[in-house]
Amino acid sequence: MLSTIIDWIAAHPYQVVGLVLPIVIPLALFQILPLLVLMERRGAAMIQDRAGPNRAYIPIPFLNVKVRGFGMIFNLTDAVKLLFKEHFTPPFVHKGYYRIAPAIPLITGLLTPALIPWFSPIVYQGGVLSGQTIDANSGILMLFAMASLSVYGVVLGSWASNSKYSLLGGMRASAMMISYEVSMGLSVIGMLMIVGSVSLTDVVEWQGQHTWGFVVQPVGFLLFLVSMFAECNRNPFDVAEGESELVAGFHTEFNGVKFMLYMSAEYLHMIVASVLIATVYFGGYQLLPIPGFGPEWVKAHVGQVLAIGLVGMALGLLGFVWVIKNRKAIHARSDSNPQDKAERAKEYGLYMAVFTLAGLGLLGAAGASWALINIERLGQGWIDFITAAVQFNIVIAKALLFCWLFVWVRWTIPRFRYDQIMDLGWKVLLNVALVNLLVTAVVAKLIG
Amino acid sequence: MAKVVPRPHLSLWENLYVVEIFKGLMTTWGHVQKNVTTGAFETRNYPEEAPSLPRDYRARHRLMKRPDGSPRCVACFMCSTACPARCINIVAEEADRADIEKRPATFEIDLLLCVFCGFCVEACPCDAIRMDTTIGVMVHDNRRDFIITKDKLLDWAPADYPATDTQSQKAPGGTLNAQALAEFNAGSRH
Repeated sequence: MLSTIIDWIAAHPYQVVGLVLPIVIPLALFQILPLLVLMERRGAAMIQDRAGPNRAYIPIPFLNVKVRGFGMIFNLTDAVKLLFKEHFTPPFVHKGYYRIAPAIPLITGLLTPALIPWFSPIVYQGGVLSGQTIDANSGILMLFAMASLSVYGVVLGSWASNSKYSLLGGMRASAMMISYEVSMGLSVIGMLMIVGSVSLTDVVEWQGQHTWGFVVQPVGFLLFLVSMFAECNRNPFDVAEGESELVAGFHTEFNGVKFMLYMSAEYLHMIVASVLIATVYFGGYQLLPIPGFGPEWVKAHVGQVLAIGLVGMALGLLGFVWVIKNRKAIHARSDSNPQDKAERAKEYGLYMAVFTLAGLGLLGAAGASWALINIERLGQGWIDFITAAVQFNIVIAKALLFCWLFVWVRWTIPRFRYDQIMDLGWKVLLNVALVNLLVTAVVAKLIG
Repeated sequence: MAKVVPRPHLSLWENLYVVEIFKGLMTTWGHVQKNVTTGAFETRNYPEEAPSLPRDYRARHRLMKRPDGSPRCVACFMCSTACPARCINIVAEEADRADIEKRPATFEIDLLLCVFCGFCVEACPCDAIRMDTTIGVMVHDNRRDFIITKDKLLDWAPADYPATDTQSQKAPGGTLNAQALAEFNAGSRH
């Protein structure tokens, strides 16, 4: 029985991968959440000239080092705290909706990756393995529909909370969603018109053959970016939370796990939005913004592409070692107490050793990848999957840049007032989107 | 009469936000770059890095010492009477010198009750209690450790205090100790 299953798997690798991917990709995205939380907290700290979270640590027994992981350990402590908090339900809430609501944004956030092309379609004997799990003709429209469903969780939660702050937050979120959904849809239509298809795979393939979307649609890109900030309820559009006016907005009455669900959904939507921006306007899984380096080229040179990526990561790590070295020197000069100085010196030493080793290891892996990964040695199947993995990582790398943009903007720009948001949405963005659409249509018709 | 604040006039360029936001992003990026590459933050790693407090800051208490090392305190209870937080607990006993009447058997200050008002220092007739240690960071694992005893209060070295602080320098180990000890043994109470 087991051997037949294994034989079947070996005989149908593409089908098996196609079955597993819809589960693996959302889970993989979920693993980025801790990184994003860290990015947010440390990024905020760096922007505000402070150290940020760096207290929680894990003691390493034999080395006698306290590893604080640049604040990474705080994700663990946060999760433990939120999971083990009292499961408190305020007496005045609508119990049923109150329990359902926090799950909705997370569910929609985990569904949307199914509609994003993570790698170029793989043609194999007897079928095509698409980078999109749901390769529907409706494509991007379905994605928008899914993504905007998340506001139902917010509105339902705020309504169920039966508190005026929550309700105001929820109303703001829904009003903002309605306003910005319009300009978002209209801004992306320009791109779809040029491509001539609503399928996201087609959009990305077009960008591979011509150039990336933000070059041909700069205004559309800007509008889409701003609308995405509003969609994600991120600063400067986070009036739904608006802690200066509404306590904590829609999640005022939520605590513990329910609060954690809302928060992780927010970050998940940030990832999805970043991936979407990267897909529509920054070439998705395409490597370079010039034609000639499309998926076929990547597939033919996948070992080299992977090697260059690994070298880039290795250089990043070694640069980080240099940063830690600076930190170590500064901390040794600071007027901290001697015990703390000794602990820090040890800790930084450990980081430097580990990261140097990891960097050198990556350099070795890059060399191996350059020399060993080629079609003669591995065969078509492996090359297909390695290409898909490389393309997936290209998308993620681009998306992480936009995630940083989300964080960066949040700690740079103050929050808009609610009426300013409505003004911007209806009086500016909508009009610019319409004009952009008109101009794009005319130019596209003239050029052909 | 309400004060009318004129709205700043924004040019069209500024009203587009895009350029201004980009400028703002560049400002914050400068901070990120500086902080990530050098790690020289404006903030202090409290409590590992204790703030450098001035001498006249009302920090943790200490008991002053006679040239022979015994506390200058004569257990008069002036400080504990003056204390608004009632955090000073003294038990008096008979001193072993004929010219000194009493001395503290125990002298405890509960730092969790203390409001650091400095009244005890003002009240002391013998300059026996001071708050010039510049120990502003008090971290302990349990509440018992926050009650500091006589030994702890007497545990300071004259070398940590300025040479102009003659009272401190007369304590054992201080620059003025030899002469002061001779005078003290000769009968001076200092």
